[in-house]
Amino acid sequence: MTPMVELDNVTRRFGDTAAVREASARLERGEFLTILGPSGCGKTTLLRMIAGFDRPSAGRILINGQAIDAVPPFRRSIGMVFQRLALFPHMTAAENVAYPLKMRRFDPAEIPERVERYLELVRLKGFGSRRPHEMSGGQQQRVAIARALSFSPDLLLLDEPLSALDRKLREEMQLEFRRIQQELGVTTINVTHDQREALVMSDRVVVMDAGRIQQADTPAAVYRQPSNRFVASFIGMTTVFPGMVAEAPEGIGEIIVGDVRLPARLPAGGLAPGTAVDCGLRAEQVRVVAPGAPRPETTIGGLVERRIFEGDRLVYEVRVPPLGNLTLMVFDHDPATHAEHEVGARVLLGWNARDLFVFPKETTENATRQETGPAS
Amino acid sequence: MTDLTRLALPRRRFLQGSAAAAAVLAAPGILRAQEKPAELIVRAWGGAWGDALKEGVGDPFTAATGIPVRYDFTEDNEIKPKIWAAVDQGRIPPIHVNWDTTTNATISALRGVTVDLSDLSNLEGLLPLAKPVGLDGYPIVNTYAYVYVCAYRPEAFPDGAPTSWNVLIDPKFRGRIALYDDGIGFNPISVIAGGGTVADIPGNMQPGWDFYEKLRINEPLLGEDADFTNWFQNGEIDVACTISVNARAAKQNGIDVAWTVPQEGCKVDTDGLWIPKGLPTNEEYWAKEFVNFALSREAQEKWCSALGLPPVFPGIEPPADLAGDPSYPTTEADFAKLVSIPSPVLVENQPIWFEKFNEIFQG
Amino acid sequence: MTADAPRPPAPAHRLPLRWRVMDRIEAVAAALWPAAFRRATPWAFLAPALLLVGILLIGLGYVISDSLHELNPATYRLREEYSLGNYAAFLDRPVYLLVLWRSLLAAVLVTAITLVFAFPYAYVMVRTRSGALRKLLLVSLFLPFFIGQVVRAYGWLIILGKQGLINQALEGLGLPAATLIYTYPAVIFGLVQYMLPFAVLMLAPALTAIHEEVELASESLGADWLRTFRHIVIPMAKPGLVGASVVVFTLTLTDFAMPEILGGGTNDFIASTIYDMFFQLSNPGLASALAAVLVAVGSLIVALVFRVAGTGTLGLRSGS
Repeated sequence: MTPMVELDNVTRRFGDTAAVREASARLERGEFLTILGPSGCGKTTLLRMIAGFDRPSAGRILINGQAIDAVPPFRRSIGMVFQRLALFPHMTAAENVAYPLKMRRFDPAEIPERVERYLELVRLKGFGSRRPHEMSGGQQQRVAIARALSFSPDLLLLDEPLSALDRKLREEMQLEFRRIQQELGVTTINVTHDQREALVMSDRVVVMDAGRIQQADTPAAVYRQPSNRFVASFIGMTTVFPGMVAEAPEGIGEIIVGDVRLPARLPAGGLAPGTAVDCGLRAEQVRVVAPGAPRPETTIGGLVERRIFEGDRLVYEVRVPPLGNLTLMVFDHDPATHAEHEVGARVLLGWNARDLFVFPKETTENATRQETGPAS
Repeated sequence: MTDLTRLALPRRRFLQGSAAAAAVLAAPGILRAQEKPAELIVRAWGGAWGDALKEGVGDPFTAATGIPVRYDFTEDNEIKPKIWAAVDQGRIPPIHVNWDTTTNATISALRGVTVDLSDLSNLEGLLPLAKPVGLDGYPIVNTYAYVYVCAYRPEAFPDGAPTSWNVLIDPKFRGRIALYDDGIGFNPISVIAGGGTVADIPGNMQPGWDFYEKLRINEPLLGEDADFTNWFQNGEIDVACTISVNARAAKQNGIDVAWTVPQEGCKVDTDGLWIPKGLPTNEEYWAKEFVNFALSREAQEKWCSALGLPPVFPGIEPPADLAGDPSYPTTEADFAKLVSIPSPVLVENQPIWFEKFNEIFQG
Repeated sequence: MTADAPRPPAPAHRLPLRWRVMDRIEAVAAALWPAAFRRATPWAFLAPALLLVGILLIGLGYVISDSLHELNPATYRLREEYSLGNYAAFLDRPVYLLVLWRSLLAAVLVTAITLVFAFPYAYVMVRTRSGALRKLLLVSLFLPFFIGQVVRAYGWLIILGKQGLINQALEGLGLPAATLIYTYPAVIFGLVQYMLPFAVLMLAPALTAIHEEVELASESLGADWLRTFRHIVIPMAKPGLVGASVVVFTLTLTDFAMPEILGGGTNDFIASTIYDMFFQLSNPGLASALAAVLVAVGSLIVALVFRVAGTGTLGLRSGS
């Protein structure tokens, strides 16, 4: 079966800079894919090319196995929800939803029923006669979704539509999008810089940086097995520090950081001893080990330098003298231990060996973050 | 008012000639009696008209009296309400002397805003043309006559000058004919061209309106003095009813224009000078001196020669290029070929004719 | 430094001159306009506008009052007694209605044609990504703006005249000369050219307010460029369109110079007729009656436009 969308070495240059470089990816039918990355990483440029508002400088985009470079947006079967929603203010909710049906020459007799059905799908039954400015932010989101879906497009594109909402509403809408997507089984590409959104909603996540796809995998894999330093540091709160390979079998090996040897998971294929590497440790995977509690695989002592109260958790910055005075970020989610460790206190930190990521030092090509296109 | 002016202005007999004028005006006695204003403002028409007034009257007057003359080129129609309002509101009017058409001047006289000029010494011996018709005394004084001639481009008339005003309704000249935008200068002639007689005016203007209906189909341009010169210069028109001064000015500027009086005749009319009421006594005095000077032989000769128009001062020879020209009537016989409508008739009927004219040409 | 009790202690360092000047100005302003007057501040700002409108209304009052007196041709003054004679004359003489109709027709035509040209112009000016093009469009817009209407009209005479540039070119090509001026279309043409900057300036902000995403959304929903324009851009630009229409319409309806200069005398608008009545015929009564009719007709049409276009026009929307 042909994939719904296929990106074949897609590159987009603006003058001397490349916003997207040699991006290749496949999207299966019914899949929910999120392109995740910081602003300026090229994710929006990529989305605009899929939508047809922009064309690749090189490479091809195929939808349903057909190259679509020459197809204008209005002939593509793609629904899109925009960052600013882009609802038509002079039309009611129902007229907004009916717009693509009229433009795409649906049977006029069918339109009211379809509008009704999609408003119901987004739980806006009875709101059809309201104008966008008479609706709440969440309701407007729902109208935008209904409008993008009412004509049963092959593909749904989401261009950070949730970024303007407050956190609570955003989280609610993330689940709502996912529900609707699964109910209709519509193939969806979402673009966001919000890692939580990417992990919560997606079947697969494509992490982009500096115009390149850094990793494409399931949310769990992207989180647990980041393929490089960028992915590791972008997803979650990760402390990155330099080290050197000491022993390098497949799987768990050992690295030297500062004065100590730490067990760590080495990348597939292994690394030669003596290779300089970057190490990463997520704040949520480091624990403050209470006295007498079971010890994780690796433990090391440190000094609390800073403590930040965030309600559901405490954030510690802990200086670890044996690791070359490295400061580690540590999240403490255990309410029992809250407020126990003052600034200056000695604490024992612990983590499991597989949670210490090791990547070969970045090559210069991968490190050129600044060379990105226009803002995403 | 008249009595006051008389008291303030003892009749004096000077300005018989320019030398006398200079001598008398410079006399210290008069300087004491009538303080000279910083300047006199004279409303005038621009172009060839203004140049002629400056050369023939303004400059010699300044030379004789030392009073500078400033020219205000506000449209004659636009200065009129300003003066009227100033007089009504007891303000000092914006100008000292108004150079005006006799018809418009008569309207201002009827409105009662003009100063009586009966005591000007130079009125004596002028042609009867100088005296306004239908008004008591001299609330205005006419200064020369002029003729609304048939001006044409000789190039467009290889067989010679047009002999009849019917040329205006000749389809050959469609879109290439011009009239004044209020019909002034042609209104009475249209009656004759349309088959009527002078006796029909103003009682039966219908032949005139009929002629205008035919003329309208011929798509005339409607404009004012300056337009005619422009149009001839830019080749927009071949024939026009306009004052001979405009045609002569165009010709003097090297434009190929000639003029004629067709068999139906041409309208002859006069322009005049008047002084608004409400000026300070000394300014009114010097304004009157200006008008009086304009009626002197010297001024009349220079001013009217420059304009190419017959002055109201008798016995002045026409300029060389206009000797025997039908647009420069001097004798009774000359005037007989032209159509003269008395001012009261014009004053009474011009608005009515204008409305009718508009109705036809804006229709 | 004197010991001035309520003042905060002067800082030891020297403040920048601009700060000190601004502090002085604020102190003077506070002395002249104490905080207690603050509620009156909006009115104080409004006062000049109210004054202006007030004077305008007084003038209008005089016009209406004059229109109710007929002229006495024996004295060239308006008669004492009130009468509707001037209005009767207006209705009686077909020429006035005809000229009014001509002005109205021109106002409608000029508004429509101007908008057709101004809309794409404003659109490109707002949407272009090229700074150079935007500057070029702005400059070409403003350059004629600084040249008065009369000068521009005479410019057209030079270009469009019988021996003007265009006819010389036609002649050069062996074609017959065309009559391009002193016609009604010439007046319309001159007015359109004159009104274009007004319309573009009214439309540009309205178009800027339409986010590009809305147009992209329409395209992605299946509308081609033309239908996006028709169904999205034009309705959303309505405030600008209504504003531009009203401005161009009223300016054209009351225009004097273009028909006077480019019309060759036979294409007068109502303003010319009012001028003639007032100045040439010295009949302020009839002139005022015509002016009053013009004001009434113009206001009525503008009110109607606002009525039909809704309250949202000119951005005067409550809520949203």
